[in-house]
Amino acid sequence: MNSRILPSLSILLSLGIFFVYVNPTWNNSILATQVKIAEADQTLVAATKYTTQQKELTDARNAIDPTNLGRLSTFLPDSVNNVGLVLDLNALAARSGLSLSNIDVVVNNANASAQGALSVANANPVGSVNLSLSAIGTYEALKAFLVGIEKSARLLDVRDVVVRGSDTGVYNYQMKIRLYWLR
Amino acid sequence: MLPPTIPTSFVPHSSSAAARRFGTNFNNAFGFFSYAVLLIIFLLAIGIFFYDRVLENNQASKNAALARAEAAIDLPTVESFVRLRNRLSSGTTLLGSHVALSNFFSLVETLVPTTVRFTSLHLTVDDVKAVKLEGTGIAKSFNALAAASAAFATDGRIKEAIFSNIVVTKDNTVSFALSATIDQKLVAFSL
Repeated sequence: MNSRILPSLSILLSLGIFFVYVNPTWNNSILATQVKIAEADQTLVAATKYTTQQKELTDARNAIDPTNLGRLSTFLPDSVNNVGLVLDLNALAARSGLSLSNIDVVVNNANASAQGALSVANANPVGSVNLSLSAIGTYEALKAFLVGIEKSARLLDVRDVVVRGSDTGVYNYQMKIRLYWLR
Repeated sequence: MLPPTIPTSFVPHSSSAAARRFGTNFNNAFGFFSYAVLLIIFLLAIGIFFYDRVLENNQASKNAALARAEAAIDLPTVESFVRLRNRLSSGTTLLGSHVALSNFFSLVETLVPTTVRFTSLHLTVDDVKAVKLEGTGIAKSFNALAAASAAFATDGRIKEAIFSNIVVTKDNTVSFALSATIDQKLVAFSL
């Protein structure tokens, strides 16, 4: 009888060790740690990929002529800066022979989603606003002014032009010019 | 010589001896089995204990590596890349829809006969780059207006030109209204 007590106790001890320590430790601590390690591995792979891409992008950006980057920033600036633009337009008009008046900002309420209608849609990184202006001058002056706007270093789109004729060869113009910036 | 069927002893074999032998064997086997199980479980527990520690150390080192990788991320640099990408892609899109209305005014200057003049012109560019023309004008004669209409039709870049409200005035001039659409190629910007 006594010879069976110790083996029985050892079986009970084995069961106790298994259910109290081995099984819970494996199913909880170890498996959870393994999952965390696997996630960390994936994140580290992504981090390595990110580092590689960042280096590639840095190299690519450094390969661009800084002058061109500056021109790109002028083309699509970081802020509206419509006051500075009005000064530039005035200077352009003066060079072209136009006399500007009544310059005003028209907030673009029509948030069209079509291509090219880069207004104030939330997902759109580009903001836009219309600038209305009146001008007086000759037809040649108008053409020179329009060419200047079309080739402006800052992107400007003439969206609307009204020309009212006269017998003197000097016309009245009303224009809406759309300007853009990077939000 | 004894016959082979005669038993050598009359003392009966004890039946409990076999059972005792069986019990002893069973106890030995059970004991061996139970100690073996205990040994295996004990070794397993030790293995799991150390494996758990190894995993925890491994996780700690991974976490440290992640923290270093996260610290290496320069957010202003990332933002500058995003803005550069947005600037390049949006600039390309905007440049693709950039219009040059000066081309139209140059064309009108050459197409319209000198006997026809516009008193007003209204050009509108919509969001899909379609350009509409509305205008009013005066022609010296009906023939002059017909010549202008023919010139538009021949050139083809001022499309769907419809002359309406054609009225012959007292001084025999012809007033008119014009609506048309402009070929997008005409107002497409090119360097």
